[in-house]
Amino acid sequence: MAQYILHKADTRGHDHHDWLDSRKTFSFGDYYNPRRMGFGALRVLNDDTLPGGKGFGLHPHDNMEIISIPLKGSLRHEDSAGNKAIAAAGTIQVMHAGSGLFHSEYNNSSDEIAEFLQIWLYPEDLNTPPLYTLGELPHHEGSNQLYTFIGPDNPNGISVRKDVWFGIGYFDYGVSFAYPVHQPGNGVYAFVIDGRFSVDGKELSARDGLGIWESDSIEVKALSDSARLLIMEVPMIINPQ
Amino acid sequence: MDNHLKLLAVGYDPAIMQVVGRLLNSHTGWNGVVALTREEGLEKLQRENYDALLLCVGVSADDEKTFHRAINYHHLPTIIIRHYGGGSGLLENEVRAALDHQQ
Repeated sequence: MAQYILHKADTRGHDHHDWLDSRKTFSFGDYYNPRRMGFGALRVLNDDTLPGGKGFGLHPHDNMEIISIPLKGSLRHEDSAGNKAIAAAGTIQVMHAGSGLFHSEYNNSSDEIAEFLQIWLYPEDLNTPPLYTLGELPHHEGSNQLYTFIGPDNPNGISVRKDVWFGIGYFDYGVSFAYPVHQPGNGVYAFVIDGRFSVDGKELSARDGLGIWESDSIEVKALSDSARLLIMEVPMIINPQ
Repeated sequence: MDNHLKLLAVGYDPAIMQVVGRLLNSHTGWNGVVALTREEGLEKLQRENYDALLLCVGVSADDEKTFHRAINYHHLPTIIIRHYGGGSGLLENEVRAALDHQQ
């Protein structure tokens, strides 16, 4: 029987600084809730807003898959492997931190805010070479389709661990679909970016999250127009080697 | 509950471990010690008692087993924590969660 955990948007951790406003679905930084330490391999889901010109200065990472999905504006990325890029809304940035690197992420605009989702996954393997990829995320209003942008077949050249699937899409009111779990034992975390959805009969509003496991199919229905949903299918066991 | 914790962080990237050590010691009541090799980590473990051992960047699954064996062999009161992210926003959470779990 399917199991569920609901994380309403207004129950998330919240940090507000002059350089960052961050809503955290799972424990991160100063926000600690022992019942919110992640969902399987999904460890971090931060909903971040950077004022113009502000950002994260140079700092290190290792052994995490760090996925950034810009929702508004753009991020200016630089890292110690020599990568420099602008990740704008409509793209996705993945940093496989592996054996370690330093990076910075700043709002590329000096006066407009940048909004992005910061998602971290535990890696499959430890201490592998770092890798940075920037890909397109071509989902559009009115498409009424879930676009798989992370998966083992490496759509759009995005390289992440091989046992996760991420999909995103805009849906109009009343559109429904069944999401088939690709790998037995995986869980699914549905996060509403905009609008409202029913997921397995549970009503979700913007920035709510629902974790589902011990299920092989998820029923999704849009409850508003231009509703945007992010689906993250991840292993529920963490055991990197 | 977190006060006066002695933490040993083992990792093989000196630049990243410098950050990890600084973050550990910036936390009130935490005393962080860094070892940059497996051998240095094992030596420090056997010389002093630590509340927790953080396994950081570069430490392989085989090295982790070696640390587990050393702690079991010497009956050390040290819990092992795998630290992900390199001195990231997970660091404090990982330590607190491990201590909560232990209790």
